[in-house]
Amino acid sequence: MRDYTYPSIIFAYVFFAILAGLAVFFFARTLRQGYWGKDSEDVKFKMLEDDDTDRRLP
Amino acid sequence: MQDQISRAEAIGAAPGAIIHEDTAAKWFLVSSVAYFFIVGIIALLIAAKFVWPDLMGTISWLSYGRLRPLHVNGMLFGWLLAADMGLAFYVIPRLCGVKLWSEKLGMATAALWNIIVLGAVVCLLAGFNQGWEYGELPFFLDVLVVVAWILFGLNVFMTVAQRKYQAMYVTIWYTMGCILWTAFVYLTGNFATLFTTGTNQANLNWMYVHNAVGLIFTPIGLALAYYFIPRAANTPLHSHKLSMVGFWSLAFVYVWTGAHHMIHGPISQWLQTIAIAFSVMLLIPVWAVVYNLFATMKGQWHQLRESVPLKFLMSGVVFYLLTCFQGPMHSLRTVSAIVSKTDWIPGHAHMAVLGAFSFFAIAGTYFVVPKLWNKALHSQSLANWSYWMLMIGGIGFYVTLWLGGFWQGWQWNTWTIPFIDTVVALKPIWIVRFVSGVMMFTGIVMFAYNVMATALGTHEESAA
Repeated sequence: MRDYTYPSIIFAYVFFAILAGLAVFFFARTLRQGYWGKDSEDVKFKMLEDDDTDRRLP
Repeated sequence: MQDQISRAEAIGAAPGAIIHEDTAAKWFLVSSVAYFFIVGIIALLIAAKFVWPDLMGTISWLSYGRLRPLHVNGMLFGWLLAADMGLAFYVIPRLCGVKLWSEKLGMATAALWNIIVLGAVVCLLAGFNQGWEYGELPFFLDVLVVVAWILFGLNVFMTVAQRKYQAMYVTIWYTMGCILWTAFVYLTGNFATLFTTGTNQANLNWMYVHNAVGLIFTPIGLALAYYFIPRAANTPLHSHKLSMVGFWSLAFVYVWTGAHHMIHGPISQWLQTIAIAFSVMLLIPVWAVVYNLFATMKGQWHQLRESVPLKFLMSGVVFYLLTCFQGPMHSLRTVSAIVSKTDWIPGHAHMAVLGAFSFFAIAGTYFVVPKLWNKALHSQSLANWSYWMLMIGGIGFYVTLWLGGFWQGWQWNTWTIPFIDTVVALKPIWIVRFVSGVMMFTGIVMFAYNVMATALGTHEESAA
């Protein structure tokens, strides 16, 4: 039986590296998009206002 | 002139308001609640077998080895993940200010998910089992899970992509994180393990088992808690910035912790040490979340008296804190030497999956079902009883297995005690476990009946 240990470990670590890279990329984007700035708390008030959309057909 | 009245006017919504169909959410929720009840029966049978090992004799498909994987997979995928997906289909469009990208795709996903769960019931009872913890589903069902997850992820990401509001609330972050991390965790646990053997396979499997809780059920559970606690209490979240600290620290820390289930096992010491270090670091995201949610309730605790969803939500937060304190402590070499492979582990897992994340899902279901069907909840009193049954039964279960696990571990570490004596000694623990299980199952029956009676009954229309 062929030993797939190293290919599978390489696969797992490369997959992990891709995800870690994406995490770093998106984290950097949150810095640019103001999630850590002075207006970053607005969204928590906005989420309480969706009652008007909260109706449906009987 | 009925035809000339717009749909918005017909239901009393403001002109221009978005009308959510929510059919996919309904399908997921109804089926998940049904599986919660059915798999609850399996759980009770398993607990009974600990007390009466000869129960149901030698019927192979009712043996412990068949029922246990069915219980695990049924609760994880039939109940909890399905309920979470249904609630995500309710929450995400509302947070984005748009309709779900494709209701039909959501319904197709729900139908496929039901095929998977029913297939799992047949296969696992028949003994078709891959033999890996949490990864028991046969290969063809694993493929279907991946397909269903892609459909679910596509629907959520497309809904988010066309959102009305640029800034995304933390619930959206956690939901999207869950979708991406699940892809990684599920593929590794169910496909990469096919190409490995021995210790490496065990190591990959435990990474999957641990991250199934940590990177699938934790983010989607917290997504729901972050949505339903402010909504149920009608008060804003304490700090959105702190919620982002929790999200990103979870993203960077969690994936490394799986090997702490292999402490003292045949894996490298450096890998064990890394797993321990990152497990202890988990306290950062956990405390960020718990502080934020507790601070949100400041001045609002009186609402717990009347609100069943809030009772479930805040109890879930407490259990989340406790289980996430257990986890890092379990990873320490000295503690692991005692509790590893004992009853302590299922006690810990149940506190996470039932005490924390199922409580969030139950709360969400109680919150949305009256809105989805536009009816008042069938019975507030029954909902309250379901909470106390699940709460008291749950505490009995977690505490008993926590202490019983320590006791079991100490016995195992005493070489002069024959193994069978440690089994006999645990019987009182398993009796309490069974009685607690009966209470929890009673709570599940009350919850399931209440939800179904609300959905199918003719109760008066909700004022909400």
